Amino acid sequence: MEDCVEDCEEIFSQDGVLLKQAPASHITFVNTIGTLYLSESLNSNKKRFIEWKPNDITVDSDIQDQEWAVVNTIQKRTRTLSGNYPADYQNRIKCIKFNFEEIKSFRVANKSRQISFYDGKADCLCIFGFQHGNSDTLLAILKRMLRISVSKRDKHLYIVYDANFPEFQQLDKSFAELNIQRDSRTLWSVFRNLKDHPYEATFEAFAKVTDYVYRSPEQRDIDDVDKENLNRSISEYENTTTHSQGDYEVVAKVPERKDFPRLRPLSVEQWKGHLNSEGKIEDVESVKTLIFRGGVTPCLRSEVWKFLLDYFPWSSTEADRQKLLATKSDEYYNMKLQWKRMTKVQEDNFSDYRERKSLIEKDVNRTDRTLDFYAGDNNANLQTLNDILMTYIMYNFDLGYVQGMSDLLSPILMLLESEVDSFWCFVGFMNKVIRNFDIDQAGMKDQLSNLHTLLAFVNPQLANYLDTHDSGNMFFCFRWLLVWFKRELSQEDVMRFWEVLWTGYPCENFHLLVCVAILETEKQNIIQNNFGFTEILKHINDLNGKLDMAVMLNKAEGIFYQIKESDHLSDNVRLILGMPLLQTQTSYGSHEQSPFEDSTELSNSTQPCCSVDNVRISPDEVAYERSINSSFL
Amino acid sequence: MAKTYDYLFKLLLIGDSGVGKTCILFRFSEDAFNTTFISTIGIDFKIRTIDLDGKKIKLQIWDTAGQERFRTITTAYYRGAMGIMLVYDITNEKSFENIKNWIRNIEENASADVEKMLLGNKCELEEKRQVSKERGEQLAIEYGIKFIETSAKASIRVEEAFYTLARDIKAKMEKKLVSKLYTPRGGHQLKASELQKKPTSWLSRCTIL
Repeated sequence: MEDCVEDCEEIFSQDGVLLKQAPASHITFVNTIGTLYLSESLNSNKKRFIEWKPNDITVDSDIQDQEWAVVNTIQKRTRTLSGNYPADYQNRIKCIKFNFEEIKSFRVANKSRQISFYDGKADCLCIFGFQHGNSDTLLAILKRMLRISVSKRDKHLYIVYDANFPEFQQLDKSFAELNIQRDSRTLWSVFRNLKDHPYEATFEAFAKVTDYVYRSPEQRDIDDVDKENLNRSISEYENTTTHSQGDYEVVAKVPERKDFPRLRPLSVEQWKGHLNSEGKIEDVESVKTLIFRGGVTPCLRSEVWKFLLDYFPWSSTEADRQKLLATKSDEYYNMKLQWKRMTKVQEDNFSDYRERKSLIEKDVNRTDRTLDFYAGDNNANLQTLNDILMTYIMYNFDLGYVQGMSDLLSPILMLLESEVDSFWCFVGFMNKVIRNFDIDQAGMKDQLSNLHTLLAFVNPQLANYLDTHDSGNMFFCFRWLLVWFKRELSQEDVMRFWEVLWTGYPCENFHLLVCVAILETEKQNIIQNNFGFTEILKHINDLNGKLDMAVMLNKAEGIFYQIKESDHLSDNVRLILGMPLLQTQTSYGSHEQSPFEDSTELSNSTQPCCSVDNVRISPDEVAYERSINSSFL
Repeated sequence: MAKTYDYLFKLLLIGDSGVGKTCILFRFSEDAFNTTFISTIGIDFKIRTIDLDGKKIKLQIWDTAGQERFRTITTAYYRGAMGIMLVYDITNEKSFENIKNWIRNIEENASADVEKMLLGNKCELEEKRQVSKERGEQLAIEYGIKFIETSAKASIRVEEAFYTLARDIKAKMEKKLVSKLYTPRGGHQLKASELQKKPTSWLSRCTIL
């Protein structure tokens, strides 16, 4: 870093640049908007600089709480800054400035909206986020001014090459810092490569160093993590996955991710084409496949949803359905009368019922009131929403009413409008997600745990990151799972999303793979910003309204086939996705042969937080981690 | 000018579903009230920085789902909380009766010395009142905590409630800070509750993070 006072000529400037990560000295300015300058010194040395100055007005972001550690020492933060610095301290160090020679590599992320600069040592110089447009112009200038090459391992990583710089010496230094001399084989192969292909090897080595550095910015204790982390970051790029098997890790390849573009929704013609003269669906599988691939065209929804939600049996004829409608209508109004007829005295003597009634009333009044369908006072649709939920209490008194259920009913009623049809479709939906509302939340805990297992399989690095940042319990995905992304998507998108999931294709628990897909998309953000427990939750909550449903589904399907085709698929992953189990691998289903192994395997799957980290956590800590988890869960 | 603060306090809003926790938080953080609120699923937090006796205090206020069923999940977020607002609805007797359950919940899951405060919300609905102010005061005295009747909708005493809680935490904290200065470790390290409860586990855990 250089001192700010020097005469410079400005080559380029860009405003609206958010400082996302900075050296400890400038940590106060993290998450502040400022202007980025590219300038050239007017002195004889003609040095070029990148400089960033904060705007006078600062954006107070909720996400970054860098000073968390001041008051809460649970979370380990090495870069903390007490707020008690003298007032002029801010002015003295206001700007961030480094010359071009300091930049050893930089990485472009987030559709060119973010650039991270690295100095090739153990520090990330800065990460800048471009709020107004992207960094393409800056990138073009940098490409012109610096001699760079794209990393072999990461096409977004640019390695700066300087002919005047003794790169071998630098490489040596980098390796010394990595402290991997013990692994003589790796080192030897690097040096052999250096001799044979000096330039390529140098770049590659730099790339590895940089990979290593940016993948674990919070790690300062290199001794503990050197090889493992280095291996992990490299294996990540080779599209491999690591899964834990006891105390050692097996690195195996997963197949390449394929693209599964969304298709057009099921059309009226397609639907009619599948109905025979009696109105029976001839080829159910083919209809479901079409719906899975593209959803249902809106005008057809009110008909098709009744099948998807098991109100109409798939094998029924038109005549069957007409009969069914009549009986179901009677059944519904019967149940409705049961609570409608309840007298004041009965109600006064029935506290359980009273509580449920009041809870429904409260929730109905705050369900989707921004939508026209539910807007305004004395809206008749709210009354219908209320009545269906009240009747559901009589239908399933053991469950009653749990928050989130009004969210699940709202789109159904809005689409079908009919009270009776909506009720039975809602019953069908509830049957699919009933475990989300378990009294002890066991169903939710299982799902969160299964989500972790899948994530650990698909993206061990991210799973490991979450584990080491107090987030291995995946609680931050709770809202996603409870109401199937109802709170994250628009009403139109949620309808499409749900009808796709209701098909049950391509596997069980596909919604968990959707979660994996989103988390994977957010991985860079989470890891690069070194988000902790609080920030991860905030970041995930703030995705609300920003998720692209089609992209999510596309990616989740890609992940599914990637998992399916990988040759090291463990039985606990198979179990979650409803795939046939490999009896050979572990002893599922053969309790009498090896009950002990079986239970170990099962406990692994329910205690994912410990599995990935077994290597580094002592037994005491694993036990403690378990006790934390079990007390939380 | 760049944003700085002297202290960060983690606060928690708990109480029955529909008593107005989210509205109180929204009133305090945005100074607004919205009739089209949605129920809280899971957990979220908001930030507001206040000025207290010349110190900038960043309040990180956590809002939780009220239904009992979700408590197993929400209590996970109690840790590290330095202040808790117990909220009931003055037009809902049951929500007041449940305060004692919430207190028990805190005792089981939060640190022993967490600052607590009792809020009787919706005090603008005088005609629907079921819980008298005296009963609120009495309960607060029983538990040795402060009590305020608020209205998020009419913006009555919401600010005061948060400032009071923050001031009490700050006083407690500064007292600790002073005593810390005389210990060899010194510094600004303020222990969160868990650290005191299970010092060895947490500390040893930190070393591997």
